[in-house]
Amino acid sequence: MPGVTAPTRRQVLSLYKQFIRNSNQFNNYNFREYFLSKTRNTFRENMNQEDPKVLVNLFKEAKNELGVLKRQSVISQMYTFDRLVVEPLQGRRN
Amino acid sequence: MFRSVCRISPRIASSAYRAIMGRPVVAKTLAQRFYSANVSKDQVSQRVVDVIKAFDKNSPNIANKQISSDTQFHKDLGLDSLDTVELLVAIEEEFDIEIPDKVADDLRSVGETVDYIASNPDAN
Amino acid sequence: MLKSTTIRSITRLSQLYNAPVTTYRACLASKRFYSPPAAGVKLDDNFSLETHTDIQAAAKAQASARASASGTTPDAVVASGSTAMSHAYQENTGFGTRPIYLDMQATTPTDPRVLDTMLKFYTGLYGNPHSNTHSYGWETNTAVENARAHVAKMINADPKEIIFTSGATESNNMVLKGVPRFYKKTKKHIITTRTEHKCVLEAARAMMKEGFEVTFLNVDDKGLVDLNELEKAIRPDTCLVSVMAVNNEIGVIQPIKEIGALCRKNKIYFHTDAAQAYGKIRMDVNEMNIDLLSISSHKIYGPKGIGAIYVRRRPRVRLEPLLSGGGQERGLRSGTLAPPLVAGFGEAARLMKKEFDSDQAHIKRLSDKLVKGLLSAEHTTLNGSPDHRYPGCINVSFAYVEGESLLMALRDIALSSGSACTSASLEPSYVLHALGKDDALAHSSIRFGIGRFSTEEEVDYVVKAVSDRVKFLRELSPLWEMVQEGIDLNSIKWSGH
Repeated sequence: MPGVTAPTRRQVLSLYKQFIRNSNQFNNYNFREYFLSKTRNTFRENMNQEDPKVLVNLFKEAKNELGVLKRQSVISQMYTFDRLVVEPLQGRRN
Repeated sequence: MFRSVCRISPRIASSAYRAIMGRPVVAKTLAQRFYSANVSKDQVSQRVVDVIKAFDKNSPNIANKQISSDTQFHKDLGLDSLDTVELLVAIEEEFDIEIPDKVADDLRSVGETVDYIASNPDAN
Repeated sequence: MLKSTTIRSITRLSQLYNAPVTTYRACLASKRFYSPPAAGVKLDDNFSLETHTDIQAAAKAQASARASASGTTPDAVVASGSTAMSHAYQENTGFGTRPIYLDMQATTPTDPRVLDTMLKFYTGLYGNPHSNTHSYGWETNTAVENARAHVAKMINADPKEIIFTSGATESNNMVLKGVPRFYKKTKKHIITTRTEHKCVLEAARAMMKEGFEVTFLNVDDKGLVDLNELEKAIRPDTCLVSVMAVNNEIGVIQPIKEIGALCRKNKIYFHTDAAQAYGKIRMDVNEMNIDLLSISSHKIYGPKGIGAIYVRRRPRVRLEPLLSGGGQERGLRSGTLAPPLVAGFGEAARLMKKEFDSDQAHIKRLSDKLVKGLLSAEHTTLNGSPDHRYPGCINVSFAYVEGESLLMALRDIALSSGSACTSASLEPSYVLHALGKDDALAHSSIRFGIGRFSTEEEVDYVVKAVSDRVKFLRELSPLWEMVQEGIDLNSIKWSGH
């Protein structure tokens, strides 16, 4: 069966980058913070995962989730609301 | 009524702000033609350092560290591969560019990163 | 304005949606024809896709309407709240104006992953799930059954035991009215508690008009039901015991497992209103001997307008349906199901299970921080049992501060002084009364709700804002002055209410 080989290091890092980028694009403060920290935690939890079977599944699942993030971060930019009282108006920390 | 048009994402706001405030870049870019058309190397360097300093949410001690062009992300700043990716995303957003994965893999130090951005014609 | 990368990604969206990730597709015909993705739709650079909603105007109008309408609140008190508020706004320039949302017991924000699941049912998948003559119906029916399985899994139930309703209010009404009506020939008695949600109490009261007897159990000062008292209340003609799992105002968790065992022993049906508990505390309908359980979708980051009722099949629980009609949902709830809502609800339930541990850890951490911060001020107390509670619901009394003026002063934080249904009336909470709190303390209580999307930054802001403004308001209060001077307030005779 093709595609059963574990994802390469570069593929994983590239996926991580896309997760961070798309999470960052949420206009909604709470969703942005949530998906950023969820991305960090999930990737870090599985950092030392060696089992290729598990890695293939994680990678597949993550790709589906990335699709959701891409669509939803765009929607979040289309329907915007005032900034929260904890959000600076100029620029964004981090 | 036009509020929605005026409300722009903070990233755009900050780059628009820079454009309006006119960083003193014009004279230098004329002198160093082979660099980015928009930003000088010194400016790039300063802004990269600023982004790194602001990165302390992920790596708490980073703000106090001495940063030079020789500073290595992993060896000197203690960033692992995931941290480095995130830092590069922050830098990408600062300069409104996309660093290809192939290039990003080889960026290990502040100097290399600054060189890459300064040579990128899209950076602003 | 959307970022240029966003515009690019929008044109890529059609491709994303075409990705064959959905399971129902697999069961369709093997030959699939996709229309080619729209060839690079060009958007005018000046055209903004963003639609901005300014909620501040609405908030201000509401606040002033409430201030003038609330006859029981003296203008001076409202004014003092407003003064405290404007002080705060001056300090906080350079930041946004939208309040922090901390009212998770009223409702929760819809998770973007839930919305993503729902959107395809508002665009292409519009079939009636009960139509079994064509693929439009099969598609949505598969999605509905998937969702049902996700909802059931969270509480270790069988999917067949889940009936979709319009929400927990309907579920509670179905049980409180449907079960006694079905068994009315032999059974005449219902047991519930004083701290239930309004819809349970009102439904029980309606049954009294139909000739049933209802026992409303008291709770102790921690909000917990006494099992001995429950056992004593049980009669041979008792058909139903209804006790909520997590209280919506004080977050207290009732001893559900013990109550379940007691009911099973006495062969009485046990219903629990789990609107605030489902997905937030571990529940197992078999281990806890629960016969009926009400669920609400919008309390678990799902869409509003849908919920469910778990109805045990073995031993079978019978109930009379509220609605007559086409006999959908095992004949218990007629009417066409709404696949967008059902699918969203299912996804929300799936996520509650998947994220259970990380959500719990996150909420517990923020809750501990908030409680510690709020209680560090003097004369503040946590309402309800400190040990048996869901950490995401925190009810605190600030003595010598008028609750309504504190809420006015805290307009930059979306909070409630009790449940959403009762806070409009400005009546002190009946739940806190049941715990033995007096009017004044019940009036000065505020509920803080923490959820999946709350952040540490928000909690820090709230602790500081509440401490500052409680201090500010107390300094204006003559009562507080007397307390500081050591006058016993109970020795004073008050006129009026």
